[in-house]
Parts: sequence; structure tokens; C-alpha cells
Amino acid sequence: MGDGIFRQKNGMVAIDIVASCGVMTPEQLSGLARLSEECGVFRIKLSTRQTLVAVLDEKGAGRLVESLPGLGLKVSPYGNVVRAVKACAGSSALCPRAVGEALALGIEIQDKYLGMEVPKDFKIAVAGCLRGCTDPYCADLGIVSSGREVFDVSIGGFGGSSKPLHGEVVARRIKREDVFLLIDHVLNRFRALGEPGEKLGRAITRLGLTPFLPPAGVKEAQQAPPDDFVKFLED
Amino acid sequence: MRYAGPAGMDLEKMAVPLENICSQCDYKGTPDCREPECLMGFARRVLSYAVQKGLLDVPGASSLIPKGDFKHYYPEALVPALAETCRQCKECRDNHTPDCVVALVRSSVEYTVLSDSIPYPGSVFMYLARIKEQNPELAALLAGELSKKG
Repeated sequence: MGDGIFRQKNGMVAIDIVASCGVMTPEQLSGLARLSEECGVFRIKLSTRQTLVAVLDEKGAGRLVESLPGLGLKVSPYGNVVRAVKACAGSSALCPRAVGEALALGIEIQDKYLGMEVPKDFKIAVAGCLRGCTDPYCADLGIVSSGREVFDVSIGGFGGSSKPLHGEVVARRIKREDVFLLIDHVLNRFRALGEPGEKLGRAITRLGLTPFLPPAGVKEAQQAPPDDFVKFLED
Repeated sequence: MRYAGPAGMDLEKMAVPLENICSQCDYKGTPDCREPECLMGFARRVLSYAVQKGLLDVPGASSLIPKGDFKHYYPEALVPALAETCRQCKECRDNHTPDCVVALVRSSVEYTVLSDSIPYPGSVFMYLARIKEQNPELAALLAGELSKKG
């Protein structure tokens, strides 16, 4: 495992900064802007994984890295680890199409799993509805809200390479807590069965889906309309 | 300031033909007017809830459509409501869900005149074709209504 700090062809250094699935407070954003100016940051690029890549001369890089925790930010881990989680705006506060609280789930998943070592980089995408703005089927593990507190989970996808794969759905309409049981299970199996440098999707192609299927306790939950809707209907 | 809005849907516009149907109902204003048990009442409440909450999907709500409402409705009165759902439909195709607010209203209206709700194909054109298979007269009325300016 390494940190997302990269020497650029132009001699500068790029630092990959991770926030809570791309969500920042104004204080974090303005603090980062001030810090960037003080450290001589040349440009900041938004990444496809909802991180920020600051490009600057090496002399200011150390100070930038050291100051990030003070803003509640950090350097994104890089290499064969669980990467920054990509989550859409799916929440009752931000997206009218969201059927569940996907953003909060994505943030919690990132807090728990970011940087954990695996045979090959492991990308997680969370979406609040089946439109899948974060391309969940192109992630090693994709999660899609299928109800207010229930989620579908697919595994084994990846969008990159010359031979991309779509993930396969291994669980439908499972509870939030079961999503974590399933991620634990998939990561454990991947660490045990994956070859070094092998993507999860390739491991599934080699071994079949069975070793990665959800543990017995993870079951489909019943669909129930929101309580406040039922009350609204009856009042 | 211009807002992109949630797919540009006008939910309040969908409520107007439903209110017209209700205003002609014999039960309107009587103790027997029970909205949760009435297809039109359910559709109106779905719209009110969605507008109030700023939602376009109500997960699981399709299971609450009161299919036991067997009141008689005239197709001519229902067609404007059905047409408005077609106008507001964003033709989500693969992303269609029966718990979409537009789909909930459309299904509620369909149950009044069709023996069963039509599985929505995510496209207005294909929808009309399916209605025609089940009820050619309704399809003709709907096509006529849709050809009017909404």
C-alpha cells in the first residue's frame, strides 16, 4: 500500500486528497484553497473517484500533506487497497430520485474500508437509485438502493482495461447492516483466493461466483413503503 | 435563477384532471369518501406527498394501490389524467420503476378501466401500443387527448 502522491512528468508532484465521498464543508473547501495558495499549488483537478488532485512543486508538498488532517482531509491511499468510495448524491436531502440513503452509506463504507489491503485495487461505487450515476456495475463492488433501507449488491465489475466487465448481482434488497457483512465476506474471500495483481472480476471468472456469494445470514428484506407515506395516506 | 428541477416534471399539473374526476364523484364530500381506499384519492395523495417531500419515487408505494376500488369511472373522464401522466413521463426505459410518482398515478388510473395494470415499457409510444392491445377504444381516446396541446 502507498499514498496517492505521484511524481509528474513535468517534475511537479500530484497529491490525491480524499474527502467524504467528495462531500466537503465550505470551511474545508476554503481552508484547502488557502492552504493550496500557501503551499504554491499550481492546479487542483477533480478526479473520477471524487477526490481532489493537487499539483504543486515538491518543496510545498510536505506541508500540504501534513496540514490536510487539520481540515478533516487526508491523502488517499493508493495501490492494491480499497480505494476512495464513489457515491452519488443519493439522499433524501439532495436528490429527488433517490430511493434510499446511499450517500451516507458510501461515506460509512469509506470510513471503514478505505486503505484495506487486497490482492488488487478494489473500487466501490454506491448509487441511490437504479439510474446508477456512479456506474455501480463497473465497480469491484457496486451498491444500488432498491428501497429506503435496502440495497442490491453486485461484485466483480471493472470499467477500465481493454476487457471491461460488468459486475454480477449477488444480493438483492438486503438491509444496510447486511451490506457490511457482505463487504467483509467478499474482501475476506478475495484476500484468501485472489492471486496477487488479480482483479476481483478476473478471480470470479477463474473460480466462479460461488466462493463469493453472500453468507447465509444475508437475506432479502421485505419491501415496505415509508412509514410517513402510510401515515400521510391514512390521515 | 433557473433550476434544472427534478427532470422537469410538473406534478401539480397531473393533479388537475384527478381533481376534476373527484369533483364529479357521488361520494365527494360524503362520509363514504375515503381517499386511501379510492384509486383517484390514492393518486392525489401520492402527488401531494411527493410535492411536499420533493420526491419523484416512493419506494414500495405501488403495493398500496387500492385495487379493491370498483367504482365506475367514465373513460372519457379518465383519459385527460392518463394523458397527463404520458406528458410528464420522462421515458426512463430501463430505469423505469413502478414506484415512480408518475407510474403510481398512471397505474391507479389504469385500474379503474383496465382489468390489470399495464407493465409500463418506459416509453409513451410503446405504452400506447400496449393499451391498444388491451383496450382499443381507450387507446383511441388517449391518442386523441395526447394530440391536443397539453
